[in-house]
Amino acid sequence: MLPYLARRAVWLSVYLVFVLAPVLALLLGDLPPTRGFWTEFSSAIAYVGLAMMGLQFGLTARFRYVTEPWGEDVIYHFHRLLSLLALGLVIAHPIILFAIDPARLRLLNFFQAPPVARWAALSTYSLIALVAMSLWRVQLRIRYEIWHSMHILLAVVAIVAGIIHMIGWGFYLVDPEKRALWIGLSIFWICLLLYVRIVKPLFIMRRPYVVTEVRQERGDSWTLVMRPHRHSGFRFTPGQFGWLTIWGGPFKITGHPFSFSSSAEVADGRVEMTIRNLGDLTSKISEVPAGRRVYIDGPYGAFTIGNPADMHVLIAGGVGITPMMSMIRTLADRGDKRPVVLIYGSNDWESITFRETLEAIKTRLDLRVVHVLLSPPVDWEGEKGFINAEIMMRHLPPPYRDHEYFICGPNPMMDAIERALGEMHVPLAKYHSERYSFV
Amino acid sequence: MRRLLAERLVLATGVIVILMSALFAYLRTST
Repeated sequence: MLPYLARRAVWLSVYLVFVLAPVLALLLGDLPPTRGFWTEFSSAIAYVGLAMMGLQFGLTARFRYVTEPWGEDVIYHFHRLLSLLALGLVIAHPIILFAIDPARLRLLNFFQAPPVARWAALSTYSLIALVAMSLWRVQLRIRYEIWHSMHILLAVVAIVAGIIHMIGWGFYLVDPEKRALWIGLSIFWICLLLYVRIVKPLFIMRRPYVVTEVRQERGDSWTLVMRPHRHSGFRFTPGQFGWLTIWGGPFKITGHPFSFSSSAEVADGRVEMTIRNLGDLTSKISEVPAGRRVYIDGPYGAFTIGNPADMHVLIAGGVGITPMMSMIRTLADRGDKRPVVLIYGSNDWESITFRETLEAIKTRLDLRVVHVLLSPPVDWEGEKGFINAEIMMRHLPPPYRDHEYFICGPNPMMDAIERALGEMHVPLAKYHSERYSFV
Repeated sequence: MRRLLAERLVLATGVIVILMSALFAYLRTST
């Protein structure tokens, strides 16, 4: 297997080939009459924009071999930013054409414009709505499940309307081979969507899990213990996560990503996920009955131990402890004697999830836990406030660049820790972080 | 930092696709 860096380069090249090759293929064979530079440029960016939009289905298709070298959070952030880029390209296309010939502005009149221009408008407006709903979903108070359905629908409309506009306009696509290429591409993009929404759920449906226990933890959190039902389960690496569907089957539009909190060394395929009540779907975890059939799509994520390290430094905030707990349990089960330092930020002493479990497991590995409390009790002599460079330097032996760092917690905490590690001159390759709020 | 990685990737992708679109237009108009 190629190293992650090489696989990243391969996938980036594959992505660019899929975006650019169909556009450059338009230059082959018989060509229509030449137009001005800016007209040709505006056409090229529209084709590129459409190809990027289509490939967005592939980016979120959870192909493990593609996402593994990056981490799911990077892929989703890439997906989000790419939609802005694709939108920019698609909108720039008519703006350039209007600037060349302002008489074309009449095409903006949806009711009087020819059908070919209406399809373009439908595609562009769908894309604008899709991006706006994604950027301001919370402010617009759109429920996640509704947003997700609308997101898929608008994406399909944007792509189908875009390709109809291009075929209707003709020009390069008058050539039957080029037309077949772009229609084939559109079918490929839609197939990616069908794979995610139909083929993959079929596989997941054949490998259900059964909830055997729902355990209350400190910090308004609950641990779901799940066993594979009539199959052997899957192997995961500590730090990875799965998409969990509790209510409804795997065809339901939305699964939710949760880290595994159990040891990866468990032989019977049992997995545990520890979930904090954040007021949304997570508020109903405590009501899940034992015996309930659930579905897990996983494992995913590049936030895993396995690199050579003299010491593992785990930095967790709140429910970000869950992947760390999986790492600690796995290291204990493996009899790993390397030192582990857990710097763990919580709101107060009573809400420290896994407080007792961490104390108990200390006998099985070289683990030191540094609790950092936001609201400490009056007699607290430990660390207070937010985790920062000073706290880390107080509890870690230099040279700091030799340790392997893992960070998981709320976004502002992750940003602060990443900055602090930069101040401590820890190279980027030595620290790993995965944000769990990427959806 | 990981977000920065994604942002750099998108920036690089944007630059490449715009340059290639310009190349497309140049090749079409120069021949």
